[in-house]
Amino acid sequence: MISVRSVRKLRGGVTALADVDLEVREGQVTAIVGPSGGGKSTLLRCLNALEPFDSGEIRIAGHVLSPGTARRAGDLVGLRRDVGMVFQQFNLFPHLSAIENVMLAPRVVLGRPRADAAELAASLLSRVGMRGFESARPATLSGGQQQRVAIARALAMGPRVMLFDEPTSALDPAMSREVVEVIVELAGSGQTMVVVSHDHALVARAAGHVVELEAGRVSRQGPVAEILGR
Amino acid sequence: MEGAAGREPGTTPRKRVVIALAFAVAIALGFVSCSESAELDAVIARGEIVWAADQEGGGPHVYPDPERGGRLAGFEVELAELLADEIGRKHGCTVRARFQQGQWDRLPLLLGRSADCVINGIELTPERRRDYRCSRAYYAYALQLIVGRDSSIRSLDDLARPGPRGDWKVGVLTGSAAEIAIRGRQGLAVECIGYDGTIDAMEQVAGRVLDATVQDDCIATFYADRFAGLRPAGRPFDGGFYTILTARDTPRLSEAIDEAISALLSDGRLKRLYDRWDMAGRQQELLLRSAGEIPPAPRSTLAEVIASTLPMLLKSAGMTVLLSCLSMPLAIAIGLSIAVGRLYGPAWLRPGLVLFVELVRGTPLMLQLYAIFFLLPKVGLALPAIVAAVAGLAINYSAYESEIYRAGLKAVPGGQLEAALSLGMTKWQALSRVVVPQAVRLVLPPVTSDFIALFKDTSVCSVITVMELTKRYSVLALTTGRIVELAAITAMLYLLMSWPLSILSRRFEHGREAQP
Repeated sequence: MISVRSVRKLRGGVTALADVDLEVREGQVTAIVGPSGGGKSTLLRCLNALEPFDSGEIRIAGHVLSPGTARRAGDLVGLRRDVGMVFQQFNLFPHLSAIENVMLAPRVVLGRPRADAAELAASLLSRVGMRGFESARPATLSGGQQQRVAIARALAMGPRVMLFDEPTSALDPAMSREVVEVIVELAGSGQTMVVVSHDHALVARAAGHVVELEAGRVSRQGPVAEILGR
Repeated sequence: MEGAAGREPGTTPRKRVVIALAFAVAIALGFVSCSESAELDAVIARGEIVWAADQEGGGPHVYPDPERGGRLAGFEVELAELLADEIGRKHGCTVRARFQQGQWDRLPLLLGRSADCVINGIELTPERRRDYRCSRAYYAYALQLIVGRDSSIRSLDDLARPGPRGDWKVGVLTGSAAEIAIRGRQGLAVECIGYDGTIDAMEQVAGRVLDATVQDDCIATFYADRFAGLRPAGRPFDGGFYTILTARDTPRLSEAIDEAISALLSDGRLKRLYDRWDMAGRQQELLLRSAGEIPPAPRSTLAEVIASTLPMLLKSAGMTVLLSCLSMPLAIAIGLSIAVGRLYGPAWLRPGLVLFVELVRGTPLMLQLYAIFFLLPKVGLALPAIVAAVAGLAINYSAYESEIYRAGLKAVPGGQLEAALSLGMTKWQALSRVVVPQAVRLVLPPVTSDFIALFKDTSVCSVITVMELTKRYSVLALTTGRIVELAAITAMLYLLMSWPLSILSRRFEHGREAQP
């Protein structure tokens, strides 16, 4: 489902990614761990072309990314329909209610009728435990609730791959647990996912495979028990 | 008691306005009553008589002469010098004439402040006899209808039937005898449009924006060479006299001017002046008659003035509202497009947008309106005054709105655009559905306050003949002589109209503070 081949990236003269190779099979949940500044988030953002890279190739959900892809905006729409993203800071749209946040992309990008999109959004909100908060504005929700709405929003496009960028780092432990439960449930349903996280509990419960990045290089990788168990 | 205290905050803002308004009126009244005009003694002591005129009015009266390095020329420049000499000779001292620039229809307002007298083709009318001291006549004029060389209009009678484009458009100098004559004449199929300068109206006839203009005959003669595409239509009509205005409280200065004119008339210096300027028609013999033949107009009571002017003021207030409500949405649309273009558009577009914003912000609104209304017809684009006014206001304010929206767009966190893009939206969808709606909410208070500013800036549109509230006020103030009272009423109308906007703006601000 994902194949990263010899991806390199320089940022301001400093190596951000150095010859990274990575394979993720369909239905697999891969965690990317490692120290801050090791290139985890950069790699993740390269996967859906939010950032360009300098050399190498990425194949993801049937799309091929090469250096410069991020500059051709037209090709990216299809890629991003198939690759969902959840951000550390949630990035919910503050002028829209929870359900409108989830409905917006299906309506605007896929052109689905309002009633259709509303039905889908309601079922996704209920799946992430946010039933009853449909008309709440993001500012009135807790961080954990906002992150769950953000997950529902990404799922609304029916992505083949879900990317999580430090989904629990901005949350306190209690809120973090709510979000971990949702991600674990998703993992159990066979969703292909890549999770960048420091959160030991999240990685241990959700991931099957772990990749450790250090200074832009894969320093270790293997089954979760092997990497975390040591 | 409690109830009364509870209502207090609700009545405070209204009270504040009344107090502010009372203040404004008091200051205005104080200004009028406290200022004391310089009498003859002061003029003699100074050795200088200050005369006011508008060089924009043009020749042959007063105009900057390009052949003399832009120095003022005109028969009235020379007349002022002759008068000063004569007054000085009579009192055994030297008196010089000093020129003071002012806007033609407001020249009398300078009396007693920055000018001793007004010498600028001011026609002797009953209203002026009522409000000022008018000297004996120094020139006899007649009105002349001027049309394009190939026009079908042969004389004033041809204006009785509508032309091929409906009512004939006839330009006149605002507040002039020509305006009074055309507006007051029964049975003309004419739309009368007031200009601030005589040349403007002739330019507009040459540019086919106007069908005709009515000018004093000496002006028509003076500009005959420059406007070769124009010709007089029919004989001069509705003659009258030019008079020198002085303030009501300077009887001796007025008398000295009368004596000086009489001396110039009797020893032939005035005739020689008119011969030199090619203005000495036979009608100048009329000058020997007395100014007293025109009796001053009766003064109306305040109630009568209000009753007769309020409907016109209200109608012009409607024009002010119309101009604001048409131009602001346009300004917002253009400004938002510029802001989006500058922040998210292609790189080649940005320098042009920056240049546009700087150009528009760095030049005065009045000049922009002038360019749109008077210069565009020269390249074949003649816009009706209202369209030109709306376009000018919209373009001017769009530059300011674009800066506000640029700040608003920048205040939306970058993660918002990324989140929208990561959901598969195109950049355009992400901007229009996610980023712009948030920016628009952020900048509502400053935009509303700009709307109030634009609302008041509509008064500048009078320079391109739009009869909005301020222009209507100044015309009515001069014809009725109720300058202060009508100013208060006009200010009240502006307040009544901008009030709801202020309330709206404050509500937006509170709305934002209430949000966590």
